[in-house]
Amino acid sequence: MEIPYIVNPRKDTGLINSKIAIWLFLASEVMLFGGFFSAYVYLRMGADYPWPERTLPVLPGLINTFILIGSSVTVVFAWVALKLGNWRQFQVYMAITVACAAIFMVLKGIEYNVKFHHQAARLNDYTVVEGHLGYEKDSEGEYSLDRHGKKIEENMIRVVAEKLTFSVKRFHAPWVNEMLSEAKRNGSEIKLAADIKAITEEGGKEEPLAKAGDPLSLELLEKIKQTQIEALEHNAALRTDALRLEWKEAKEANPGKRGWQLASDVNIDMEALKPRLLSEVSSVEFTVDPPTLLLFKPRDIKESPTSSRLRDDTVIDGAMGASPMVFHNLDAIDFQWLVMKAKEKGISPEAAIADSWLMKKSEFVREAWAWHLARNEKRQAELTKDYGFKEDGKTPKRTLTHKELYRLGWKDLGEMGVEKQQVKISGFDKIKEEFKGPNYEARGEKTFPHISIPREEIRHAAKFTPAWNTYYAIYFTITGLHGLHVIGGALVLLYYLVFGRKMFLSNPEWFANRVEVGGLFWHFVDLVWIFAFPIFYLM
Amino acid sequence: MSAHAASHDGHDHSHDDHHHDPGFIKKYIFSTDHKWIGLQYGITAMLFLAFGFYLMMVMRWSIAYPHEPLPEWMSWIFTDNWKARWLQDGKVTGETYNMFGAMHGTIMVFLGIVPLGFGAFGNYVTPLQIGAVDMAFPKLNMVSYWVYLVGGLIMCASFFMESGAAKSGWTNYSPLAGFADGQIVNQWLAGQTQWLIGLVCLITSSLLGSVNFITTIINLRARGMTWMRLPFFVWAMLVTGFLLLLAFPPLEAAGIMQLMDRVGHSSFFMPSGLFTKSEGLADLSGGGSPLLFQHLFWFLGHPEVYVLLLPAIACVAEIIPVNTRKPLWGYKSMVYSLLILGFLSFIVWAHHMYMTGMGAAVSTFFQTTTVLISIPSVIIITAMLISLWGGSIRFTPPMLWACAFIPMFGIGGLTGLPLAFNLVGLHLHDTYYVIGHFHYVVAPGILFGLFAGVYHWYPKITGRYMSVFLSHVHFWPSLICMNIIFFPMLTQGMAGFHRRWYNGGDAYLDKATAATADGANVFANTVAQNIDLNIVMSYGAWILAIAQIPFIINLFFSWKTGRKVESDNPWNATTLEWATPTPPGHGNFTFDVAIYRGPYEYSRPDCDKDYYPQWEAPKDRQQASADESADKGHH
Amino acid sequence: MADSIEAIHKAKKTYLLVFGALLVGTILTVLVATVPALDIGGHGFDIYDAILGLIIATTKSTLVAAIFMHLNHEKKLIYYVFFGAIFFFFAMGALFALSESSPIWDYNFYK
Repeated sequence: MEIPYIVNPRKDTGLINSKIAIWLFLASEVMLFGGFFSAYVYLRMGADYPWPERTLPVLPGLINTFILIGSSVTVVFAWVALKLGNWRQFQVYMAITVACAAIFMVLKGIEYNVKFHHQAARLNDYTVVEGHLGYEKDSEGEYSLDRHGKKIEENMIRVVAEKLTFSVKRFHAPWVNEMLSEAKRNGSEIKLAADIKAITEEGGKEEPLAKAGDPLSLELLEKIKQTQIEALEHNAALRTDALRLEWKEAKEANPGKRGWQLASDVNIDMEALKPRLLSEVSSVEFTVDPPTLLLFKPRDIKESPTSSRLRDDTVIDGAMGASPMVFHNLDAIDFQWLVMKAKEKGISPEAAIADSWLMKKSEFVREAWAWHLARNEKRQAELTKDYGFKEDGKTPKRTLTHKELYRLGWKDLGEMGVEKQQVKISGFDKIKEEFKGPNYEARGEKTFPHISIPREEIRHAAKFTPAWNTYYAIYFTITGLHGLHVIGGALVLLYYLVFGRKMFLSNPEWFANRVEVGGLFWHFVDLVWIFAFPIFYLM
Repeated sequence: MSAHAASHDGHDHSHDDHHHDPGFIKKYIFSTDHKWIGLQYGITAMLFLAFGFYLMMVMRWSIAYPHEPLPEWMSWIFTDNWKARWLQDGKVTGETYNMFGAMHGTIMVFLGIVPLGFGAFGNYVTPLQIGAVDMAFPKLNMVSYWVYLVGGLIMCASFFMESGAAKSGWTNYSPLAGFADGQIVNQWLAGQTQWLIGLVCLITSSLLGSVNFITTIINLRARGMTWMRLPFFVWAMLVTGFLLLLAFPPLEAAGIMQLMDRVGHSSFFMPSGLFTKSEGLADLSGGGSPLLFQHLFWFLGHPEVYVLLLPAIACVAEIIPVNTRKPLWGYKSMVYSLLILGFLSFIVWAHHMYMTGMGAAVSTFFQTTTVLISIPSVIIITAMLISLWGGSIRFTPPMLWACAFIPMFGIGGLTGLPLAFNLVGLHLHDTYYVIGHFHYVVAPGILFGLFAGVYHWYPKITGRYMSVFLSHVHFWPSLICMNIIFFPMLTQGMAGFHRRWYNGGDAYLDKATAATADGANVFANTVAQNIDLNIVMSYGAWILAIAQIPFIINLFFSWKTGRKVESDNPWNATTLEWATPTPPGHGNFTFDVAIYRGPYEYSRPDCDKDYYPQWEAPKDRQQASADESADKGHH
Repeated sequence: MADSIEAIHKAKKTYLLVFGALLVGTILTVLVATVPALDIGGHGFDIYDAILGLIIATTKSTLVAAIFMHLNHEKKLIYYVFFGAIFFFFAMGALFALSESSPIWDYNFYK
């Protein structure tokens, strides 16, 4: 059995199978990316926050565009070489194509990496600050490391734990281990607060499961969990049987009555059942002696001044310490959102900015803002000079954008540093900044100062990841998916490059068809990027 | 077939003319033969259907007897641990009901009916009907089955995880679905996330499948199989393929975005200022739109209805001409209706969203297109109805189901008309009326059509007929019970029963009766009047379950003990699948196939037999046609 | 599709021309977005810049599709499939946008 039309096209359709298939596949890809781009339009139209326009550095995106376009040409040339029967040339062009894909992904990786390490925070008054966080240090000035050996950012919730109450069913083992090692390092012990007694056999007596003072260990928790599960299963079965019996009796006693009319009177006789039940221990309490400092990531904990709760239902009693978010380098101050909110309420932007927490607390911000206002005046004057006024003779034809008016980005702060503090920066460092973001070392703390923001002032904080806002969410999703397509396409092309020789020798026409189909996919990937680049980088 | 695989299966094998014995695993598990893949799809899909049915029975218990523990004949399947976690004193809790409801919908739609209709029948019958040796990409075909199976198992595995399976409805609306299982520390292990991963697998599977189908239909048709000689079944598969191809990707996009919302903490579908029950203000950026998810979901969701429906219509359209011994009435208009139906189905989706307040202009647009789409569907159904006129109908088992399909689907379709209208939609939205309408289409409609297909092609697949007696025992109770279950739903819906009441309106009644004292609630009386229907419907469901037992017996026992077929074409049909040996071997046809005429040439006056097949058997052909020699060597 | 050797060599030239056009298009799209003197419409990004950017992108992608992907001389069937998908994409995007631009989402609608 042989499938026809693999090499030679069918007469009436004029097509080989794989060509139909790849175009069908591309049609579905149009709908896939179409879904995402429609989502982009929808999210942008409906955004209730200042959409970050033209926010990404253009240079890496531009280079990537060139690279992809170039690879599109080389893949076509590779196919042409095959058509001409020139294997060597095919190899060269295909190798360039795959190399282009690799460079594209490396650049993309650098871009992503910069964003993953760049922190943003939205304060309660909708001021946005951006920058780089510092790292936790211990009492001797050394960086503290977490259990993966990584430095811990100064963005942790600090609780001086006195008492830990674990949910027997849900405790998360890695977190328990973390608490144990933290306590050990701080020289304190976590001990069971009170004896745990339980009935573990039907009709049996209460027997001790663990004694007060037993140290916390995963084995202990597991053991209690096991008895708890057994008790739950046993009791549930008993209760179910009892309820069934009650219903049977109720129905016999009240023939013709509907279930919902009887329901309120049918209850399990718990008193009768009690002697047969096993005891359910749903939580265990441990004391920490002496109380010790534990650090938690903000997303894992619901903090409160006296009693916090982890996501696995562990309750931590103890005072919450000051848990500020510490920007070692503040590199942007953004009042766009605050102004937007102020306008909705009918407050003037200037008053709202002057009233913001950041302006009140930071000398640097006040200074920078004054510099910014002066510069804006100059910029507006230039615009008015170049483009003149509208017909009424008063309003300028062109005015500064919302973003220019209310945002001080890292480039602006850098400019201010050069102007006011005489910070010197080399040309190479400047180009590096286009790829890797603000250069803190070269520009120093005078340009990008240190600022500590108390936890209660923060409304939302995230790295520049999908969690920061819907713009970054859709940016990462579309470019990430596009990146996966690049990798997939490159792997296919690489396969042709490395293992194609045999196919080429045995059936050159078939091989050329396959390369053409692979090439079609590659062009489509390019096509998506042609739209993604202006939409994300330039609009 | 590859000699490589045959070489290491160990035992001696004799070479026949063309192919080697491919070995057990290659032949039965990782088979690339479209027929065996079709059977794999069919068996898997039926198992999933049975599972989905079971979930529904538990739900129906909770609706009819919300205060009573689940009876042992239903709960024996759970482990003690599962019962302790998910039942309260043996009663179905709201959470468990939601979980079962969400998974019932998902399983029935994505894991049951689509694979049964498109995967099983499409795979088995399409290449046979167009005279192809196999699908265009046999390996891809195998991959799409396995991806489907993996996706389905991932979804179902979440029943056993700490979080339980997905519980935000089969539509998985955000923000509800975005927050569900939020307490699970590792979000990758939450049922709600597993649902999304499973869904992405299923979409990938149907994407590969549809590419394969369309390519096969376009390029692998036998000589002489022109477009207007294609059996209606093949047309339906072509349109279904396009629907899957173009409508599924937006849902994949939505699935990926929701996955990002869950594990990447993004806010695609999370509006600003969200509060969660326990946590206060959610630690999310906000700024997203729940409506976006609904748009993307229903962009798939509506074509999906036709993905479910078309294979069933296709089966019925094949069975009617065979059993009335006359051509399908209006074949061409049916085909064109089908194409228009496929096109329109892409632009009607937001009639599922009238309640969202998306705006009058858009609502009006979708209302118009929705009313428009009823025209092609009515043309198709009417054409099938007219096909019965004046025929000498043979009431074979497949014909019974096909005949029941037409009125049942008719009820389903007509009850949908009111829902197309914006204002009526506001009242009926999310009531049991919608459930009744949808289930009339899917259960007694589509499932009956697919049952018809099983009875029809069983002799070709196995070489034996299914038992007529057992099929009657299967058919009549099924028909009656389906109506007992679903007709009251329409009444209940108009009386104001909400589709997500896990206790069947009981809790509502308590509150509403208290409220009527000051005249606040209009629906208290209507709900009270209709609440006892719950019990009737639930009994209908359980009897329906029993009625499926004869089918299962019939399916397995007839394989070995059924009456043997007399020829390769036992129904005296005209389409090409009956030209193959019974059962068809690898490569399907024993002779070089060519097509000479349209698909439904029955009772032609110029022909001795009452059917005139599309093909000519080799011995007839020697005298028959002159153009044969011209095409020789084409293969 | 180029079949004869000569036709192939001629096609190579076209490919290089298209390559050049794509580079120019890319530079152009960056320039109109970054150089103030080339900024059309008002100052900074606005709807005119969006339209211009999309026109340039569409031109570029048309070139890629027509020349590199050989859509300038392809079978009808493939046009149906591909442009059908593009049609449905536009229908989807347009209807999404329509539902979002409905006045009831306007902040001041109920005032």
